[in-house]
Amino acid sequence: MKPLSRREILRGILGGAAVSVGLPPLEAMFNCSGTAYAAGGGLPVRFGLFFWGNGNLPERWTPTGEGTDWSLSEQLEPLGSVKDLITVVSGMNLHTDNIYPHTSGASGILTGCNLLAYEDGRQDGTFAVPSIDQTIAGQIGGDTIYRSLETGAMPGTDGNSYNGPNNRNPPELSPMAFYERIFGASFREPGEEGIVDPTLALRRSVLDAVMGDIDKLNARVGMSDRARLEQHFTGIRELELRLARLQEDPPNLEACLRPESPASEYPEVEGRHPVADIHRAMSDLLVMALACDQTRVFSHWFSDPLTNKLYPDATMGHHSLTHDEPGEQPEVNMVTRFIMGELAYMIEQLAAVDEGDETLLDHMVLLATSEHSRGQTHSFEEMPIVLAGGACGALRQGYHYRSYTGENASHVMLSLVRAMGINAPTFGVDAGEVSDGLSQIET
Amino acid sequence: MQILRIALFTVTIAGCGGITDPSGLDKAATLDRDEPGVSLPEPTLRRLTQAQYSNSIRDLLGEGLIFPSNLEPDKSTDGLRAIGASLTTISPRGVEQFEDAAFDLVTQALDVDRDALIGCEPAEVVDDDCAREVITAFGRRAWRRPLDDDEISTLVSISATAAQTLEDFDQGLVYGLAAILQSPYFLFRVELGEQGESGVERRFTNHELASRMSFLLWDTIPDEALLAAADAGVLTTDEGLQTQIDRMMADDRFEDGVRAFFTDMWTLYELDDLTKDPTVFTHMSPEVGPSAREETLLGVVDNVVHADGDYREMFTTQRTFLNRKLASIYGVRAPEREGFGEAILEESSGRRGILGQVSFLALQSHAVNSSATLRGKFVREVLLCSYIPPPPSDVDTSIPEASATAVTLRDRVAVHLEDEYCASCHQLVDPIGLGFEQFDGLGHFRTLEQGATIDPSGDLDGASFDVAWGLTGHIAEHEDLGACLAQTLLAYGSGHSITQGEYEAVDYLTEGFQFMDYSIQFLMSDLIMSSAFRQSGEIE
Repeated sequence: MKPLSRREILRGILGGAAVSVGLPPLEAMFNCSGTAYAAGGGLPVRFGLFFWGNGNLPERWTPTGEGTDWSLSEQLEPLGSVKDLITVVSGMNLHTDNIYPHTSGASGILTGCNLLAYEDGRQDGTFAVPSIDQTIAGQIGGDTIYRSLETGAMPGTDGNSYNGPNNRNPPELSPMAFYERIFGASFREPGEEGIVDPTLALRRSVLDAVMGDIDKLNARVGMSDRARLEQHFTGIRELELRLARLQEDPPNLEACLRPESPASEYPEVEGRHPVADIHRAMSDLLVMALACDQTRVFSHWFSDPLTNKLYPDATMGHHSLTHDEPGEQPEVNMVTRFIMGELAYMIEQLAAVDEGDETLLDHMVLLATSEHSRGQTHSFEEMPIVLAGGACGALRQGYHYRSYTGENASHVMLSLVRAMGINAPTFGVDAGEVSDGLSQIET
Repeated sequence: MQILRIALFTVTIAGCGGITDPSGLDKAATLDRDEPGVSLPEPTLRRLTQAQYSNSIRDLLGEGLIFPSNLEPDKSTDGLRAIGASLTTISPRGVEQFEDAAFDLVTQALDVDRDALIGCEPAEVVDDDCAREVITAFGRRAWRRPLDDDEISTLVSISATAAQTLEDFDQGLVYGLAAILQSPYFLFRVELGEQGESGVERRFTNHELASRMSFLLWDTIPDEALLAAADAGVLTTDEGLQTQIDRMMADDRFEDGVRAFFTDMWTLYELDDLTKDPTVFTHMSPEVGPSAREETLLGVVDNVVHADGDYREMFTTQRTFLNRKLASIYGVRAPEREGFGEAILEESSGRRGILGQVSFLALQSHAVNSSATLRGKFVREVLLCSYIPPPPSDVDTSIPEASATAVTLRDRVAVHLEDEYCASCHQLVDPIGLGFEQFDGLGHFRTLEQGATIDPSGDLDGASFDVAWGLTGHIAEHEDLGACLAQTLLAYGSGHSITQGEYEAVDYLTEGFQFMDYSIQFLMSDLIMSSAFRQSGEIE
């Protein structure tokens, strides 16, 4: 029998997809041990990333006390309302190379791997392998409308969600555009019926033709272009699957509601972007995107590495502050605390969604981190790592783990990947590679 | 062969009417060079930039359409988005956006001018002949080549099914046209070259050349005349190619191409996102960034397109184009009540040329203060093509705060230049940047910083200057200026960083550029005529 082509396989998938799936009773859906509600198999555990640029001030960051008996530090104090829901991991280092300020660190923490090396050494840095959100999305993102969602708060943010070299998932920066994408015309609330729309099939026929073009073109191009076309193909296939899923009845989820539409514009105030307003609008939408099971993986780029935007009340751009603010850097401290306050908002919203007897936050983990610790020296020691949520009981909460040996931050990442139910043998590459999670933060 | 090319070129300059000095014609004819062989890297697909996508849609579907605000962002690599476009791909979200945009734009175009898009009248709801006519013509423009029979019949069949389902011929055709706009043949530039007879280097085909030169000169898809030349197979001849270059440089769209090149090279797109503290810079408002870009581009277009002038004059000209906002920053009278008007800046203003403009002075600064390092780095890297390595990751790069003994930025950054480790790089950039210190972080002229007199003097590779006025003159005369532009244009036109096998081509282009008094029109034409642009590397 001749092997099926990709297109034939795809048609097969689509042919079988346009049927309603019987729903298990509500209480079984989100107890983390029953069967998932849709498409059979797999727990609806979710992953979120909150990333901010330019690091922290490690001497004001590290909590006092360890284990379950610990107190928040000055920089973490804004997380007071959610202290019992988070785990702080301090004293971890990046073991990857620190060559390009900021960029190396972003790659180090999010991939455990060095930046892609070019022969002449003068290219912009690009990640060599997928970032942790995409590593996870590749395993658990397949059953939802969106494999992953990417958002940003600070205008101009590029994000670092990488599918592979030179291949980023650009974050949505406009709350309104994000709202329309997820909760616009094609969105159905629980109880509503799937979309009956003949144009969906027509759109799929267009995508089919485009995939045919890609296949044909693939035969003519070189190696690097094949990888690029493969990504384009993947994107088309995902869109085609999404169109098919729109015809299904929406999942029956108790917490899922169509959210209110956000503001269409977020004008500057005194030369400063209203980054908190944008962030909160995005957080609200992301929370509902998870509650409605539109996706199980998101990355939220509060700000980029190197961002030099003005934060509220700051007298210099953030990056300039980290390098040039004298003394104990009170403004850098203020900005870090501001960002932690906004992180607290997102955690609170995730914890406010009930799923059965537990909350959405119980069924996920949110990783909050940055590309280095001290900005002034781009330090890879004492990396800032905050985790929120229990990942269906896989991870501790209300905990501080401190490493005194500068352990590899990849240990934490491997714990998170495994907490997603992914059987990953390692995380990272070469010096950044580990094969053990960080058992102290696991239950 | 060489002589023939030059002779043809002289005709063309007269043809495009750019050169007013007749001696320029003789000059091109006396240029005597031997073109070196080139060794080129593997050709790669280039994703259309956002601007190329919009321009191409304009050419295909007409003016006046509302574009989606959200499209896959461009990414700069090695200083150029043109290079980034050869590396990046289309993300899943990008696929969604291009799908949305395709349907939305085709539907809009049908509403605006249905007959311009659909030139035939369907006999009934499904009319494959009429659909085939539209798709064949539209596809050829969009994909920059004739479609083969399979491609056409797939698209006709999509349209027929859709027409049947929707019971409307036009609505059916929307699906066929939207498929064309989502195809990799539209979204990527497929310029892969073909192997000719043995012993002849691999080279780009007629239609690939049409696409390459069109995106270089116009930043959009070829027009009908260029496609006709490609169909006729004349672009692979020197004469046919030169004829099209001249025609295209005389066309209004040449301005788009020139703007696109300088916007990319000088990162003028970053002016959309200019952040300045308005409590420090009282002139700051959201219109400053876009206004500053327009000032610079009006000057560039004036030099390149209208005057076919000398590139060096971009750095020394006292003529510029200001609106009220910029005039207020420069402290001069606004030349016009509305929009931009021509202004002559006196020497007392301290500024001349593009390096006296807000686009450079504000962009290469921080949000509240100027930056000698950023400004110097721009001159070294972007204008002179030197490589400045990034600062090492693990050192404290802070500069001392102002004190009684060190008030000005020059005093404060002295530490960069005294520490041997820092100085190895900073001596290349800081002395240049300090020459612009009489302009604050927005570009406002000043002679004092915190009450202390600013000393903007210095030297550029041995040529001393007292103020920025002198420095800009030295930059204009710098020996690397012409070679850097030639190298950047080659990289921009080819979509890759210059490789070892192309260095001699850069030298060759530089020689012509300098000989022709730094005429960018000549350089662009010379580039398109060169082997470095017409030949292609092997696909491995």
